[in-house]
This record gives sequence, structure tokens and C-alpha cells, in this order.
Amino acid sequence: MPVFQLHVNGRMHTINVDGNMPLLWVLRDVLGLTGTKFGCGVAQCGACTVHLNGRAIRSCVTDVGVAALGEVTTIEGLSSDGNHPCQRAWLDLQVPQCGFCQPGQIMTASALLAANSNPTDEAIDAAMRGNICRCGTYPRIRDAVRKAAGGQTS
Amino acid sequence: MSGIYRVTRRDFLRTAGFGTGAVVFGFAIAPDDLFAAKIPSLREIAHTGLPLGEFVAIKPLSGDLTIFTHRSEMGQGIKSSLAAVLADEMEADWSKVTLRQADADSVKFGVPFPYPEIPGAPAIVRGEDAQFTDSSRSMAAYYMPMRLFGAGIRLVMLRAAAKKWSVPIADLRAEQQRVFHDGSGRSIAYNHLLLEARDIPLPNTDEAYAALKKPEQWRYIGKETMPFNDAKDMVTGKAIYGADVNVGRGMLTAMIVRCPVANGKLLSFDATAAMAVPGVRFVERVLPDNFPYTGGVGANFVPHDGVAVIADNTWAALRGRRALSPTVKWDLGPNASYDSDAFRAELQESTSKPGKVVRWRGDVVGGADIKADYYVPHLAQTPMEPPAAIARYDNGKWEIWSPTQGPELAQHYIGLAMLEPDPVKGLLWLVTEPDELRDCERPSQRAFNEALSQMMSVPVSKLFELRDALKKKVRDNVQVHVTLLGGGFGRKSNPDYAMEAAFLARNHPGVPIRVQWTREDDVQFSFYNAAAYEHFEAGIGANGLPTSLLQRSAFTSFFATIFPPPSPAFPPALNDIFAKARAAFHNGGEYLYGSAIERAQGLEDNPYDIPNMRIENSPAPNHIRCGWMRSVANIYHAFGLCSFADEMARAADRDPKDYLLDLIGQGHMFTEKDLRENEHVPCYDNNLFPIDRQMRSIGGQEKEILPGFPPDTRRLRACVERVAQMSGWDPAKKGRLGKGRGLGIAAHRSFLSYVALVVDVSLNDANELTINEVWAAFDCGRVVNPDRVRAQMEGGILYGLSLALLGEITVKGGAVQQTNFDDYPVFRIHQTPKRITSEFVPPSKAVVDSYPGTEVPPTGVGEPPTAAVAPALANAIVAAGGPRIREIPFRHKIVVL
Repeated sequence: MPVFQLHVNGRMHTINVDGNMPLLWVLRDVLGLTGTKFGCGVAQCGACTVHLNGRAIRSCVTDVGVAALGEVTTIEGLSSDGNHPCQRAWLDLQVPQCGFCQPGQIMTASALLAANSNPTDEAIDAAMRGNICRCGTYPRIRDAVRKAAGGQTS
Repeated sequence: MSGIYRVTRRDFLRTAGFGTGAVVFGFAIAPDDLFAAKIPSLREIAHTGLPLGEFVAIKPLSGDLTIFTHRSEMGQGIKSSLAAVLADEMEADWSKVTLRQADADSVKFGVPFPYPEIPGAPAIVRGEDAQFTDSSRSMAAYYMPMRLFGAGIRLVMLRAAAKKWSVPIADLRAEQQRVFHDGSGRSIAYNHLLLEARDIPLPNTDEAYAALKKPEQWRYIGKETMPFNDAKDMVTGKAIYGADVNVGRGMLTAMIVRCPVANGKLLSFDATAAMAVPGVRFVERVLPDNFPYTGGVGANFVPHDGVAVIADNTWAALRGRRALSPTVKWDLGPNASYDSDAFRAELQESTSKPGKVVRWRGDVVGGADIKADYYVPHLAQTPMEPPAAIARYDNGKWEIWSPTQGPELAQHYIGLAMLEPDPVKGLLWLVTEPDELRDCERPSQRAFNEALSQMMSVPVSKLFELRDALKKKVRDNVQVHVTLLGGGFGRKSNPDYAMEAAFLARNHPGVPIRVQWTREDDVQFSFYNAAAYEHFEAGIGANGLPTSLLQRSAFTSFFATIFPPPSPAFPPALNDIFAKARAAFHNGGEYLYGSAIERAQGLEDNPYDIPNMRIENSPAPNHIRCGWMRSVANIYHAFGLCSFADEMARAADRDPKDYLLDLIGQGHMFTEKDLRENEHVPCYDNNLFPIDRQMRSIGGQEKEILPGFPPDTRRLRACVERVAQMSGWDPAKKGRLGKGRGLGIAAHRSFLSYVALVVDVSLNDANELTINEVWAAFDCGRVVNPDRVRAQMEGGILYGLSLALLGEITVKGGAVQQTNFDDYPVFRIHQTPKRITSEFVPPSKAVVDSYPGTEVPPTGVGEPPTAAVAPALANAIVAAGGPRIREIPFRHKIVVL
């Protein structure tokens, strides 16, 4: 099996896995980074969202061989102690219910804000519509993204 | 002598009588147990802290507290909320609190409450129900126990300080885990009082009641300061769900090819291709070959027959399963003919004929002026976390880690499957003393007990011994740890996935096996909400209001899944015992008909004040696993009932809100006697809670054992009035809304709470729907955690919008046709209304004054918002000029972008 050098959260990992193993399973099963969640396996729900070179991707459909070409950031590496503006806004507005989808939501939102520091409501919905939450935290997610962007919450 | 750290089995309660006075924090202490109780050594206290009952341990040096929550955390915030109720009353310092999720333990938690020393006292929580986190009853059942428990601990600390300082207890106060003596300026931390506390006599229940704080003294209860400790871990990726548990090296991951049809059986498989996948270790059948089938589609929660691929990691297991899948051959069995379209027609036919009358008043005669039928298909819960569980087997014992709503239920059914798979002997678990039940439930329990005693050729009295021995065997050999749940919504009440892990673990002693479900597994192997058909007929009087109402409902009972329905393949005695077991279990009814639980969710408790009413339950067979989904039978019953109210209003050319208020009338409180004698509902299931206030004579005094939780249509009416104000209904009605825009209203009581919703929609010329706004007025009695209640309102409403617009599971050839979120779509953020506004409607003075109890207690929160959504939305679509939609999902009739 091929050997990959994988950059995750600023650290280099040497891993020995099948090149088309999805990044999700490398993160969870090989590296023990369980903050990234498995929700659907087919890029429908966004629970597995991580950053690859700063862009939000679905790790369940991204081969590790592709991910090894760039820098991967997971929820564990988004901030040193949970102080990313999204994480703070998520806590301030008590967004999570069961919490399972929130790492993916936050990774999508943080990538959005990195690219667009002042998104409109439409831009927020467009960016976040790939992330499903069954608990129904969507209204608070909208508010939290606005708050993290420095704007007003409704 | 202290018993703070020692609680005893409820089994004691039956034999010890009462009057011992040794009751603390809701748990009974038997004199013999007291003597047997081991007082912890100082070394033990230093190591683990002094346990203060079963929920709290305090460290002597640091004062750090561990508070256990026995109910499962699945997004409702209960792990923090119940702990905070306790912490508030005990005057804990929340900064010192660590929360822990309790393991399954019906011995610790399965006690009736309060005044457990009284034989025959009504138990809200019995057996597995103590931890079974379903039916939105955690706070309703445990608010007062947690308060008393906390107040009792505070009282012990006050007494300890009084002893240490030789001062009267009246001169002391407790605050933030310290006791203060203001007269001398002294104060001392709780953890420095443990030596004295160790020997303090236990407060009894009366003393704990007397020590309760006044509401104005609460720090957390009812306040925005109520904590939610798990949130930080959730946003940093540290929260641990079912598949995240690190049980050490050597864990293997299993993926399972399951029979697509309920109760089909494995014929053969070829492991060659799967074994060739790198990382695959084993390919094997999940169930033992000789496992006794019971003929039920999901009886005893036994999983679908399946073949597991066990591998080093999830990806290898997935690839192995892909290789294995085409080689697996099944005998699909009789359910392979199940077709959900044909079943819909069967349900329609069933409701076209008289069914079993479950409630009536007056006389429904003559022709109907207005009729309507409504249909709700099977629905799947799809929590974001697909089912997953880990099991390890060693030396005859199982250790399970599972995101489960039913910790003891999982322990119970896994234990039976592993240790006592004989389905008849397993029924011993359900043997119950009739005296513990309501009068109306006793005959069916007696009949079951007697039939089982005959079948097993032992006297009834011996059954109780056998039951206790069986339960002990299971408890001693199966340990269930509860992780966070990535959503539950009823799916994770069913322990089938953990049972799969337990079966596989047994084949590989010492090796932890993680069973990981995919989304496809979750969609295709759920315990689905029943498909249901609702038929209504009304006779309309001169004033436009109904003089008579016929309501008929056909749905498959979830008890037809858990208990094997009658089968020609069984000997008659077996059919008979299963039927009697079901009838006895929570008044579970008989096959083809609904249980008391389902009948009580929108059928028997129809809130309309119509002089002549007949409510019927029509027969429906079972071909697929049916279970619970957030709000359960309320979903289809409220959809029919609240839509039909709007249809009658429009037929009468009346405003739907005014008409709804007329239907409800001024409202009144139902007593158990009213329901029995005036409504002819002999055994109403009030979500397990008593309808009337429960009083008992204790030491010559009449005392409240439990408050009543009566259906009270005044409270429903108040919610309708409030939501109309919130939404500006009356001005809107007068034409403020433009063309293609409309408001719809619906109101429903469920899980002891009352909700009224208004939905504001727009429908454009292309028939495309926009949901603009939703208002909710909610009466759940005492609001303990306002922010989490609001969060549940938001979530429950969105869950309801999702199922109404999008939800549909169809079945062909016995197999579910949907697979993932592409063909079983769920609500997304861009579909979410701009605003959802919730307000609490405190019970009115008239309600409070007539309330059968000392206070209006907290009632259900998680599920009540959901059921009223679909009808409110359907009614709004009509108001916006759209079609009357009488079936779910609405996307078949309108465009959902």
C-alpha cells in the first residue's frame, strides 16, 4: 500500500493506506480525529466537512491521495482552544442541540467567512445548505454566522 | 448511621411496608440494607469522593462534584438541565460540577417516586422507563425528585455544620457549596463537612419537601442562566458519540448486509470476495444459526438477519460489504409481498367501515355534511448520527457502548438475546404485580401472569422469583454505557444495532467490535412511524358548528412489531401468550388495533367540545418494523384532526381561528372519572402520568403523592388565543396579507403539554412555497430551562415542517425504496422560515386555582411542537389560495424549492 504524507492541523502524518480511502476514514480511524463526523457518505449532509487549503470539502468523498496534496484542517485544528469567532458565536447563541452536525456546520461557516467576511443572508443560506441539521438549529446557525461576521443577529 | 450513599432496590418496597421514615431524596432505605450497607472508608472517600446518593459524589479536598444524569442526552439538554435542578436545590457551585452520563441501571433508578415507602403508590417510572428517554417525560418525571434530592443534600450539610459548631440549624444558611453562620461570621465548605455528614441521619421525604427552596431563591430553575455544559465540547469536536468511543487498541469495525425484508432469513453467502479486500478479517452471520425466531417483524428488537464484514477499519468494512453483498441469498418470507401503495388502499378500505369504538359521547347518527380522509406514509427518523455501537465480550460478560435512548431497555433485550433467547422465558421480564398497576390495567396483567404460569408450569408466585433472577442475571452480565446521541427522535429507542454488536462480540472474545451503520442502513432499516389513514365525518348544525363528529384512524401499532402477531406457524398456546403479553404491557391492546399509548395521542383525547362524538380505531396489519418517531401517533392524528377543523371552518365560511376556539369551547379539565364515565374511555394512557391528583394517608395525614396531569382544554384554548395575538391573526385576516399569502393555525395537546402554531406562507403562480414565519404558543407548565425549551420549539417545528413537506418512505417487494438524503430529503437551511417565535403561555389563574396538585409541574417539550406543524402548514397553504393537501408529503402537490 502507498505511503502518504498528510498535513493535518499543522502536523505531518505518515500514513500507509489505500490511496482511495476517503479522508474521513483516515481522520477518524487512522488518526483518531473523531470530531469529523460520518453522516451520509455521499456528500449530501456536510457532517464530514473539513478544510483543504482553507476551502470547505466533504471528506467522505475526498480520496486521501488528493488530500495529501494540500493542508487539511479539522474541527480539532480550527483554533487552539475553541476561540474561533464561529465557535464563540456558536456558544454565545447556544446553537448546538445534539451537536453531531456542528463540527461540519462550523467548518463550512468558517470557510465561508474566510472567503466573504460579510455575507448576506442569501450567501449564508447558499453556503450552509449543504449541511443538514436534524435537530433544527438552522435559525441559530444563521444568527451565529452573522454574529461571527461581526454583524447583528436577528 | 448514614444511608446517603446507599439506595436500595425497589423490590424492597414490596416487602418492607412503610413507616421506616428512612427515605431520602426519593429513594427508600431498607433497615436491613442499612445494616448491610458498607460505610465507605476514608481512603475510598479520598479516592472517589463521598457518594451522596446515586446522583452526586463530592471530593473531600477540592469540593469537586460529579453529578450523574440517568436520562440520555440527545440534543434536548437534559444532561445539564436535570443536574442543574439538583445543583440549584443543593446550592452546588456549578463551576465545580462535572457531568457524567449514568450507565444502564434499573436497580439504582427504577424506583417509584416520591414516597416510595408506600405500597401501591403510583409510579411514573417503572422498570425500564426510569432511563428510557422517550415520550418527552424526563423533566415531568424527574423535576421533583431532583429538587428533593438536592434539597436533602443541602439539609444534610446544614445539619452537619450545626453538629460541628453546636449551633441551631435555624441560624445557618447554605450558599454555593458553603454553610454560613452569620452570627459568628463563620463559614465552611461542604467538602469539609463530610466527616460529620457521613453520620447524619437521613432526611425523610417530608423533611426534604420542607427544605425545598422557594422559587424566588432559585439560581437556575426557570432562568436563562440554566447551563448547557456539553455545548463547548460539541463545537470543538471533543464530544463523544457512539462511533467515537476509544476503547483501546484492537477494535474492529463491522458493516452488515441485512435482509431487505423484515423477518426474512439467510440462505447462503460467499465470503471469498469480501475476504480478499485488504483489512477484512472475518465474514460471518450476525445471528446464531439456531437463534429462535419468533415470527415478529422486529420482535424483542432482534435485528434483521444479516451477514457482517468485520475489518480493521470502517473503509475496509465498507469495501468488504460491497464485495459480499451480491453473494448473499435470502428467503425473503411472507413480508416480501408488502407494498406501501397497496397498503394505503388497504388502510383506506379499513377506515371506510366501522372500527372499534375507543371513545364516544352522545349519539352519532344520520348522514354527514362534510367528510375528509388524510394519509401519512411511513416516515424515518434519520438522526444525523447513524446508529453505531461497540461491544466487548469476555468471560461471559458484555460491555456495550451505545448512543441509546433506552439504556435499560438495551440492557434488557440484549441480555435476553444473549442469555435467554427462548421467547417464552423472556416474557418473564414482563411479569408484574397487578397491584402496581391502575385498576383498569390489572385484569390483563393477571391474565398474562396466569397464562405464563400455566405455560411454564410454575405457580404465579414463583414467576416473580424467576423474573427477579432473570433480571439479575442480565444486569450482572450486560453493562451498557451511554454515549451522547447524535440525535435520537425515537430511532435510538430501539436497541437492535447494539444487539448486533453484542452478537458479533460473542464470537470474538476480548475484541471490541464496533457496528457502524451507513445512512443507507439507517433509512432502510429503521423502525418506521406507522403509515396511517384518518377518516372524518361531521354533521353541521345551523350555526355552522358540528353537532356530530366521527373520527376513524387506521395505523399499525408499534406493539405489533415488538410482540409477535398471531401466526398460523405458531402453536395456539404461543399465539395466546404473546397476545396476553402485549395486552398486559402498558395496556398494549390486541393485534390489528392500536395500543393505549397510540390511542391517547390524538384519538381518545380529541379536544373538541362537540355534543355527539364517536372515535374509532380501524384495523391495520403489520409487515415492516414500526416504531417511534418524534411525536409518534400524534403526527397522523393531529394532521387529520387539525386539518379537518380548518375544513369545517371554511365550509361554514368562518374564520379558522374563531372557529377553532368555538370547537374547543371555553374548555374544561378532564378527570379520570369524566373520561371513564362521560367519554367512555376506560383506561386513558396519560403518557404514564396520573390524570387525577394522587393522595395517600401517611402517618395519619393525607399527602400528595403526585400531582395530577389532567387534559385541560382551557390551556389549549389559551394557547390558541395567545398565538393569534402573536401572529397578528385578526388584522391579517382583515386583508393585510396579499394575494398568494396565507396564515394557518393548529393546536394540539401531547405529552401533557399544549401548543398552538400559526404558519405564514406564500405560494406563487408556479405553485412554489415559501414559509415566511412561524409563531408558537406553548404551555408546558413550569418552564425549567427556557433557552432549551425555545431550542426544542425551533427544532420541533422544523422537524415537523420537514416531515410534512418532504417525508416519505415507500416499500416495494417488502423492501424500503429510499436510501439516503438524496431520495429521502430532509429540511435544509434555505427552506427554513426567516423567523420562528415561541412564547410560553403560563397556566391561567383559573387553571392554577383548580389544579389538582400543589403546582403545575413541568411537562413534555421535545415532541409537542412537531405534530401541530403539518396541519398548520396545510391550512396556511389553503389560505394562500393553494390546494387542500390531505396527504404527506406536501411536495407531491406543491413545489418545495
